[in-house]
Amino acid sequence: MTLADVLQHEPSAETLQLWLKKVPYAVFLDIRAELRDGEILFILPESRKLIGNPSLPALHGGVVGAFMEQAGAFHLIAKMEKPVLPKIIDFSLDYLRPARLRETYAQCKLTRQGRQIANVTVTAWQEHVEQPNAIARAHFLLPESD
Amino acid sequence: MVVLSNEQKVRLVKTLSDHTPHTALLGIQVVRVDGEELTLKLPYQKELVGDPEAGTLHGGALTVLLDQTLGLSSVCCDRFEPSVTPTLDLRIDHLGIAPPGLDIFASARVYRTTRKVLFIEGVAYCDSRDKPIARATGCWVRVAGINLAGFFGSLQGGAQQ
Repeated sequence: MTLADVLQHEPSAETLQLWLKKVPYAVFLDIRAELRDGEILFILPESRKLIGNPSLPALHGGVVGAFMEQAGAFHLIAKMEKPVLPKIIDFSLDYLRPARLRETYAQCKLTRQGRQIANVTVTAWQEHVEQPNAIARAHFLLPESD
Repeated sequence: MVVLSNEQKVRLVKTLSDHTPHTALLGIQVVRVDGEELTLKLPYQKELVGDPEAGTLHGGALTVLLDQTLGLSSVCCDRFEPSVTPTLDLRIDHLGIAPPGLDIFASARVYRTTRKVLFIEGVAYCDSRDKPIARATGCWVRVAGINLAGFFGSLQGGAQQ
């Protein structure tokens, strides 16, 4: 099942696929999304242009963070009744192990969504979800509706 | 302990930057080193836009710039021999939005060193450092037994002992 199929059952997430293609930086990083076990799985494809440490080689830590931030924002958009682009307030990132030159995944959890603020946690991994490469927490400001 | 001049630090940072494919791809440049403070620049690029309506840069591009600036500022610190320093954590407060079309600068320095950990802070701004668009803090781990002597070797000329 593709993400688009799932979004049909989830009216609040209709604009997710659109945003992925509309955000230039997400296109630049080639971020993709699909559904796995009922959750949105974000994918950062392997690319040599993302290397930060060529001797390992490892992905640039900042890129991994950027991918996770984008995943968090899209995840939040997908959960919104009226999807809008949220504004990031702050972002806290823990690096647990270097991200190697391979495909990277991210899944998010909307820990709390208030009227104005949303708290989203993001886990990024490569081989096993139990061995995350990084975990992050972001606060987003939700634009006033109407 | 060898203390490098600002010019030597600029060369060291440039050498390390040139070995970072992603940094080179984004065109991140060394602007200056002033003592222990490093300043880098991220040129505005349409590919890095996060809000297509407003044309403003993506927060993630700022994360890359700040991660790079804070991390590399460790080699500008005079209080220890530059070594390999993986990032432990990074926190970014987004204080404002960079106006579309403007280059972004980031300045950072190590504000505290311990035997195992470097505490680093920095800001990102467009026009004026007094009006930061983001503030970042983070910890970097000092990996024992690995230093950048190889990179350092070519920079020793003129260093003050």
